[in-house]
Amino acid sequence: MSYSDKVLDHYNHPRNVGSLDRNDPNVGTGMVGAPECGDVMKLQVKVDEMTGVIAEAKFKTFGCGSAIASSSLATEWLKGKTVDEALAIKNTDIVNELSLPPVKIHCSVLAEDAIKAAISDYKKKQDQRKPVEARA
Amino acid sequence: MGVLPSNYYDFFGIEHRLDLDLRDLERRFYALSRQYHPDRFTLKSAEEQQTALDATAILNDGYRTLRDPLARAEYLLKENGFDIGEQGSKNVPPELLEEVFELNMALEELRAGDESARAGLEEARAKFIAMRDGIDAELKAKFAEYDGSRDRKVLAEVRGILNRRRYVWNLVNEVEKELAGAAA
Ligand code: FES
Repeated sequence: MSYSDKVLDHYNHPRNVGSLDRNDPNVGTGMVGAPECGDVMKLQVKVDEMTGVIAEAKFKTFGCGSAIASSSLATEWLKGKTVDEALAIKNTDIVNELSLPPVKIHCSVLAEDAIKAAISDYKKKQDQRKPVEARA
Repeated sequence: MGVLPSNYYDFFGIEHRLDLDLRDLERRFYALSRQYHPDRFTLKSAEEQQTALDATAILNDGYRTLRDPLARAEYLLKENGFDIGEQGSKNVPPELLEEVFELNMALEELRAGDESARAGLEEARAKFIAMRDGIDAELKAKFAEYDGSRDRKVLAEVRGILNRRRYVWNLVNEVEKELAGAAA
């Protein structure tokens, strides 16, 4: 199967590979997998406390080229977005940007799921924090 | 000839079970192959010839699917609404994902290492294969449980185990690729 140039570019030069401190209350971590192929993806965001904007996004994917490219692209898109804007990213946006063929759609779904999981982890942490701050 | 059953189990005339007697399946396969052999239809109508061709196609696909326990399980799950594409069918326990992720990380480190990493890789392979064998034993037990009870709850469990197997299977493949590459 041939990959599009954009997929190859992300695959050969993945952006934002790495990890953030998952114990940081401003970091949300999403860990997802695709049982169709057994691939796993971790995506993390760090939200700026003052502005509510995603300051950093990192990923690490063990999977196919399309999954790596999808998550790499996702981290690029995430930076500078608010949490709610981040949730608006759809796998179809990724499919279009990377010209993924139908058999590779589940790879982009994995990236969307990872974003959702990371944001929901972040929100959960923030909610847990509130009572503490209220007491202080 | 009437309308052909498109369901593999029905085509072979067997019960929809997860565990199958493979010798019985093979006997049925040969009997049906003879029954639908194109040579027996050369003098028949075009329509009947086409039906025989269709039958042969279902027969071959069905045999390939039913004789392989994993493909068979996927097939039976699908006809019961537990297709892997279904929402909710994908759920795996988060701990499993964490573990698979960590194992992949460890594998990557070993990979980056020199020849001395070989022992570690071999150890990893033994570990993954043991995991896989454990999963297969679990599957076997669940197959029997489902065939005995026809309980859909068991099918949901089989779905989960098959998903887990997929991740572990990947790890086995990755480490074997690495060991084969290192030896070359
Ligand atoms: S093939 Fe599995 S994520 Fe692409």
